[in-house]
Amino acid sequence: MPAVLRGRSIRGVVTTALVAALVLAAAGCGFSESTSGGRGKTIKWYVFNEPGGAFEQAIATCNKQAGGKYTIQYVRLPTDADQQRELVVRRLAAKDSDIDIIGMDVIWTAEFAEAGWIKPWTGARAQRALNGKLKGPQLTAQYKNTLWADPFTSNTQFLFYRKDRVPKPPPDFTWDQMIDQASQRGKAIEVQAARYEGYTVWINSLIASAGGSIVDENGNVKVDQTAARAAQIIKKLATSKAAPPGMSNNKEDDARLGFESGRSDYQTNYSFIYASAAKIKGFQPKIGVAPWPRVDASKPPRVTLGGINLGIGAYSKNPELSFQAAECLAQPENQVVASEKGGLAPSTGVLFSNPRVKKVLPFADIMSTQIENGVPRPVTPAYSDISQAIQKTFHPPDGVDPSKVVSDLRDKLKKAAEGKIF
Amino acid sequence: MADKVTGRAREERRLAWMLVAPSVIVMVLVTGYPVVYAIYLSLQKYDLRFPNDKKFVGLSNYTDVLGSSTWWTDVFNTMVITVCSVAIELVLGMLIALVMHRAIFGRGPVRAAILIPYGIVTVVAAFAWRYAFNPGTGFVQHLPLVSGTANPLGSRGGSFLVIVLTEVWKTTPFMALLLLAGLALVPDELHEAARVDGASVMQRFFRITIPLMRPAIIVALLFRTLDAFRVFDSVFIMTRGANDTETVSILGYNVLINRVNLGLGSAVSVLIFFAVILIAMFFVKVLGASTAQQTGEA
Amino acid sequence: MQATAREKVLWLIAIALVLLYALIPVVWITSLSLKPPAEVADGRFIPKNFSLKNYDTIFSTNIFNAALINSIGIAAIATLISIVLAAMAAYALSRLDFGGKALILSGALAVAMFPPISIVGPLFNMWRTLGLFDTWPGLIIPYLTFTLPLAIYTLSAFFREIPWELEQAARVDGATPFQAFRKIIVPLAAPGVFTSAILVFIFAWNDFIFANTLTSTSNARTVPAALAFFTGGSQFEDPTGSISAAAVVVTVPIIIMVLIFQRRIVAGLTAGAVKG
Repeated sequence: MPAVLRGRSIRGVVTTALVAALVLAAAGCGFSESTSGGRGKTIKWYVFNEPGGAFEQAIATCNKQAGGKYTIQYVRLPTDADQQRELVVRRLAAKDSDIDIIGMDVIWTAEFAEAGWIKPWTGARAQRALNGKLKGPQLTAQYKNTLWADPFTSNTQFLFYRKDRVPKPPPDFTWDQMIDQASQRGKAIEVQAARYEGYTVWINSLIASAGGSIVDENGNVKVDQTAARAAQIIKKLATSKAAPPGMSNNKEDDARLGFESGRSDYQTNYSFIYASAAKIKGFQPKIGVAPWPRVDASKPPRVTLGGINLGIGAYSKNPELSFQAAECLAQPENQVVASEKGGLAPSTGVLFSNPRVKKVLPFADIMSTQIENGVPRPVTPAYSDISQAIQKTFHPPDGVDPSKVVSDLRDKLKKAAEGKIF
Repeated sequence: MADKVTGRAREERRLAWMLVAPSVIVMVLVTGYPVVYAIYLSLQKYDLRFPNDKKFVGLSNYTDVLGSSTWWTDVFNTMVITVCSVAIELVLGMLIALVMHRAIFGRGPVRAAILIPYGIVTVVAAFAWRYAFNPGTGFVQHLPLVSGTANPLGSRGGSFLVIVLTEVWKTTPFMALLLLAGLALVPDELHEAARVDGASVMQRFFRITIPLMRPAIIVALLFRTLDAFRVFDSVFIMTRGANDTETVSILGYNVLINRVNLGLGSAVSVLIFFAVILIAMFFVKVLGASTAQQTGEA
Repeated sequence: MQATAREKVLWLIAIALVLLYALIPVVWITSLSLKPPAEVADGRFIPKNFSLKNYDTIFSTNIFNAALINSIGIAAIATLISIVLAAMAAYALSRLDFGGKALILSGALAVAMFPPISIVGPLFNMWRTLGLFDTWPGLIIPYLTFTLPLAIYTLSAFFREIPWELEQAARVDGATPFQAFRKIIVPLAAPGVFTSAILVFIFAWNDFIFANTLTSTSNARTVPAALAFFTGGSQFEDPTGSISAAAVVVTVPIIIMVLIFQRRIVAGLTAGAVKG
């Protein structure tokens, strides 16, 4: 019975393979994303993967300073802010005790605080955490008059332009002027208009620069004509000759690549593109940096704040040590390293005059002004819903209708805040 | 003697139930219980970000979902993807089944080739097609007759196109195999007789093959439609629902996992479950889909 | 009937078209994975320069290796348990007589048609209360549920074809029940079991929605879910090259398996619908 023989031998192969797989599996059960080893209690820091090595150096510094009390482990999260949040939220909702320190995106503060997923900072510790920090980052770490995290790094977007092709923008350079100029030259303006958090950043900056806001201090919806103005600018760019290819799918890196390819004269993006440009021969000197463009020629721009605050997980098994480790991680020296290796801006004001920071980020003075006056995104526990509602209202950029935006946004935001489908 | 027979029959029944019990228990527990739990959750206002606000709200989650235009747009999107995919798969699957059934050589390579889309991880296929159509990485923009700046994934119609293409690519083999099994049931003598009578290939196909394959076609359509309605992986990777391509499963995911609004998300889930039941009932009652063959009793 | 040359050519074209259809995305993603990172955005179908850098990258971090182990282990265990349970049920369904057969079979069908999104919510909540979130059993249990119907149907169809009288004959010839089982039944059932195992494994290997929602770290995240969370070279970089390389690594074993066992897979998939 040849068929039988064939069946048996193949069966043997499969069984062996399965057993091997199971053994491998049992052995592999101990895999984790973090590096291990070290003395004292293990404190796990969940933060995005910073490829420049800044966080690793910060951890090494603090482990040395800890003198054996604790060892910090680096647990890498994805680079996309939306994905980071999804992962962290899922674990915190599952009451995971593995999370000690969280590298929180500035927009998570209200949500995590209200849900009871992070511990408040109080007393002398809170004062130390706020000491010397710029106003913008301070605002992002607070909710309902309590401090919930230690500001670490900060971030805003700038206007990068091709020094060799266009003149330096005047101080009251507006979006309208920029779009007209770029359209005339037939070159693009790189922005981020995919349907994701980065789009909310742009919209928030436009609305704030127009003098408005999306919610008021109490978290109530406060949409007005400034939203229509923002929609106007977005639509104008999207339907002009200055619209970058694939605009409605572009994120930060697409903008960077587009700018590096030479198809655009202008780009609004974070400082990382400046460091990245150094890798291309002769390209970095061609880049000029200017403040973010204005919506209204008479009003200075107000740009959305980004950055990382360090929060403590509510279910952590070593909260006291975690607080100490977080304070150490946020210290000025580590912020400088974050600038040097990662192109991330500090949150402590005096560091912007630090020569090491200025060497890597020569536009540090523009940075500190924008961050000091920076505007947070809506501070509410339902922020991710709000952001999604904003994205839905304004996407795709060439299809947004300025005359309908205000009522549409109000309607969606109301539903989002009430926990309904929007 | 009679006692022995019934005694044996009873023993056989007991053995049978013991053998099927583990499977049944697993299936009931892991689908039955969560469905009941989902219904329970859907009657509450329960958002993990506001843990102190949990309370019973009756059917208000359902009225919210059914009254929102987003839900109906998503149902529409899901139907578009379902109908287009299944229709194309039927035609394509039939063609491939015919090739496999009638090819005079090369059946082995064909069979092996079409199993590749079946075996590939859906997410991998979605990434492959996404990168193919992405301006920048994609090769589609470099094909003749295609504009260099074409961005299908930036528009609604284009996104539907790419999603349907991915779904069709991935699941046509399964459809082809189901249809192949049905093809094998059509007796060759009928074809011979018709040919002798002067019927053309087309006439033979539409008058003999298709009618005799009807049960198999309907079963295949039933399986594939239910599958297509649940589409998630491809849409998630391609657009995540952007460009107005959000499907009901993506909506459920966004509300449940992203917004951690368990009450509202459960209502969406229960509604999706009912929609699937409706589709299945339609196929069984109206079109007469019969899986009797499967039970070995036909 | 002799095939004319014209017919042969037409069949050749038809077969070539089918092959093209099946292979284009596979060749494409392989080509993407072999491009050096700087050329990943050049839009060429065949790379200008070949480089294995992307494979280097994915194997140098723990994330992919852990995901591979998770995928293999979870799929294997789920397959094992599923086949054992399904074999028992299929034996009862095909050989024994009892009421409720139709009920069980249609119930199994109903489970197979279930929309997974409808239970991820409750499962997420249940698992996080029971501590099964982000664990292997947390994924194995739902996989079991959704593969049982497939396995039961396939195995029932195979078991119906087995000539069980041979076992009786062997017993009459003096073999013990166990001997009869081992030497007669097991080899006859083996191909069916094997085929079902392959189909079940492919199903579990393929899953995305459960892997995505019920895990959050390398403790249990399988490759499909990990693919969606790959990171690039810089903070905002799109990891096209890494994802392509990972996709190839996870696809090649499946392709090899499919090529070797194509006959069995086709037999399994068409088993239920064809009698005799």
